[in-house]
Amino acid sequence: MIRTWIALRKAGLLGINERNLRLVNDLNPRRLMRLVNDKTETKRLAIEAGIATPELYGLIRNPLDMRNLEKLLDKPDGCVIKPANGSQGNGIQVILGPMRGGWRRSNGQRALLEDLRFHVNNILSGMYSLSGQPDVAMIEYRVKFDEVFDPISFGGVPDIRIIVLRGIPFVAMVRLPTAESDGKANLHKGGVGVGLDLVTGRTMHGMQNGKTTEIHPDTANPLSNLKVPHWDEMLLMAAKAYEVTGLGYLGADIVLDKGKGPLLLELNARPGLAIQVANRMGILPLVNATLKADTEGMSAEERVEMAKKLYRSFAPERIFA
Amino acid sequence: MQTTNVTYLSVTSTFHTRLLALVLTVIALTIFGIKVFQYKYPLTPGAQTTTWDFEVYLDFDTANQPVRIETFIPSNSDTRSVSQEQYYNGAFGLRLESDDEDGRKAIWTYRYPDDRKVLRYRARLEGETQRSPLPAEMHRPADREPPGSLNDLERQAFIVWSSDMRRRSADNESLAELILQEIFVEKDADEIEALLPALPPPLDRLTLAAEALQSQGIRARVANGVYLDEARRRTEVQHWLEYHVEGRDKRYFIGPDPKEFFTIWYGTEEMIRADGVFDFEPQVSIQPIDSSTSDVVRKAAREARNPVELFSFDRLPVTTQLVYQVLITIPAGIVLLVFMRQFIGIETLGTFMPILIGIAFRETALLNGIILFTMLVALGLAMRFYLEKLRLLLVPRLAVVLIFIVICMAVIAQVFNGANMRMGLSISLFPMVILTMTIERMSIMWEEYSAEDAIKAGAGSLLIASLSYLVMTNQHVEYLLFNFPELLLILMAACLLMGKYTGLRVSEIIRFRELAKQAEK
Repeated sequence: MIRTWIALRKAGLLGINERNLRLVNDLNPRRLMRLVNDKTETKRLAIEAGIATPELYGLIRNPLDMRNLEKLLDKPDGCVIKPANGSQGNGIQVILGPMRGGWRRSNGQRALLEDLRFHVNNILSGMYSLSGQPDVAMIEYRVKFDEVFDPISFGGVPDIRIIVLRGIPFVAMVRLPTAESDGKANLHKGGVGVGLDLVTGRTMHGMQNGKTTEIHPDTANPLSNLKVPHWDEMLLMAAKAYEVTGLGYLGADIVLDKGKGPLLLELNARPGLAIQVANRMGILPLVNATLKADTEGMSAEERVEMAKKLYRSFAPERIFA
Repeated sequence: MQTTNVTYLSVTSTFHTRLLALVLTVIALTIFGIKVFQYKYPLTPGAQTTTWDFEVYLDFDTANQPVRIETFIPSNSDTRSVSQEQYYNGAFGLRLESDDEDGRKAIWTYRYPDDRKVLRYRARLEGETQRSPLPAEMHRPADREPPGSLNDLERQAFIVWSSDMRRRSADNESLAELILQEIFVEKDADEIEALLPALPPPLDRLTLAAEALQSQGIRARVANGVYLDEARRRTEVQHWLEYHVEGRDKRYFIGPDPKEFFTIWYGTEEMIRADGVFDFEPQVSIQPIDSSTSDVVRKAAREARNPVELFSFDRLPVTTQLVYQVLITIPAGIVLLVFMRQFIGIETLGTFMPILIGIAFRETALLNGIILFTMLVALGLAMRFYLEKLRLLLVPRLAVVLIFIVICMAVIAQVFNGANMRMGLSISLFPMVILTMTIERMSIMWEEYSAEDAIKAGAGSLLIASLSYLVMTNQHVEYLLFNFPELLLILMAACLLMGKYTGLRVSEIIRFRELAKQAEK
């Protein structure tokens, strides 16, 4: 135990206590948290700043709006129902499209209008919101994800998480759905996390349930050396998210749409720490260096350049055979 | 600029926190030190005082006619103390009557009772010894008058007898001893037999002795109470004589002197008088218990009226003290919880929920508490999963679970009461709202994450609840915090410092062990 502790210290592991104190408490003023907790707000800000997001079809704010539900769901390409104040992907329901008597869910099962009404009702009553407060249900564009991740994902939307510190993207991973995670890209549900080289946008090693892995558990394809398309665009989106929200420490979740390119899905004011396992590196030295960096008057593009330099000084490029 | 700002903020707030923690600790230790070194507050609950659990248990039949039961109950004085009094009245009206002459009375009344009834009075007693001084009113001189209850003939005999005693003695002290000797030892003296009042023994002789002493200007009276010698389920009410002679306080006991005793009332009245009852079975029991903290502290406070007393609870009424005795230990549990979360990283359901469960364990004791908690949560979860099928809105669903929990608790109480187990009765104090929230959180975790996570968090909560219960009910913790409330500042300082802990949690060492393997390579 003590040996592990020393090894982790040496590896520069960032712990929850330190994250909460030094990053979340110091860099994310409470009044700004609302901007990312409420996804409708995030979307509005992102659109203003010219960051692409999935199109919002409509909101259901109260039981009265419920009569619009059927109309909103009536999209040939399907849609996504999600709570505006949800966390960790809870309460998200993906609809692939209409089918006889109802709608097809992402897992292929049929959902009746009654089922979806119940789900939306649960969202409204605050079942998925952070503090159990009444919430709003969002119905938005269903991302048709790029095939690039097809060999290493199973039934769901892979997304890319970039953590941004004071506007400098400094560590990233791609989260892949698995059979175990039921099509969700959440790591705590059994999704696979794969570290990304911040400079090249190439995948490196993977992890699932806290354990390292080199292959996807369902497709058995190797996880490494896959180039994420539109990588620089994604870094720029993440860097801009800082200007939009003012949050010094945030995680940007980005999905890659087949036609529309990268879309900002949501922002997270307290991104988790499992990204360290996915990247096989402790991020504390990088955090400290990024905190010291002088970003006075820099544009988002300049910060991305600085991010790449900083990253490379701590993580040498890996050459894949 | 922003950089310096951030580090500046971080450094000053750390410094500020440490300074505050230091100041709090210094203040606390100063008050603590003064109490311990200057005023010699004992540091451990110790065995300096034994307290006794005293109970009057009245069990009787009624027949739809007015019932009135009077009983003398213990009262405080300079030499003895009563605390933690509890009255179990049932439907009866209770009135307390205080009388400096005789003692304190509890009077229970009920107009139309039926069926068998039980009344109880419980208290904790701290008794007196032969060396305890008598109350101040015993120090006033007595009127030299023969007792008024005698008729002329008896009065003549009394005067002859008492002047004979007077002649044979040198001073008041030897006179008193001679009178007592005559009455209690040489029992067959005819004069004495003739003078005895119509009272049951030994009250008759005690009354005569008191009257004889009073007539000689020696203040005396009959005292009644219990001997505090060993645990007794049925203890006898004892009677003795108190008198004050030549500036000295004395007590005369029939038989060997008890080591410790408690005076309940004075005079020749019976302890318990009951009207309108049948099959009356009064029962007085005593039991020694470990010295309780509040008693010790009040003793310490009595001995020295000092300024540090401001930092104690002994000025509050006993019932309030009792509440604080429980409340004051909660911070100790909280510190434990903070430690478990920040340093160990144990997951719990809700922030302070484990502490509330721990407090509930006070009523049920640990093992019973764990069994009840697990049972109720399991039942509630089963109900919650069933309700999932009905697709209800959140708040009504919570309400259904809560009602179900109350029903479960009622059923459990009935079942265990039938089996004559105390456990069932204590359950009603379980915080059902907290249980309901626990169940809701657990079931959401169960669905959203996994059964494993939910059970882990439930077990974590239960573990912390049990540990906090052990800490909060620990004799020493309770004693120290109750008598030295300034120690709360130290607990606060500890929490402040823990609030700035940036190290790894034990759970993280386990979680990231893969990374450590990687780093070691």
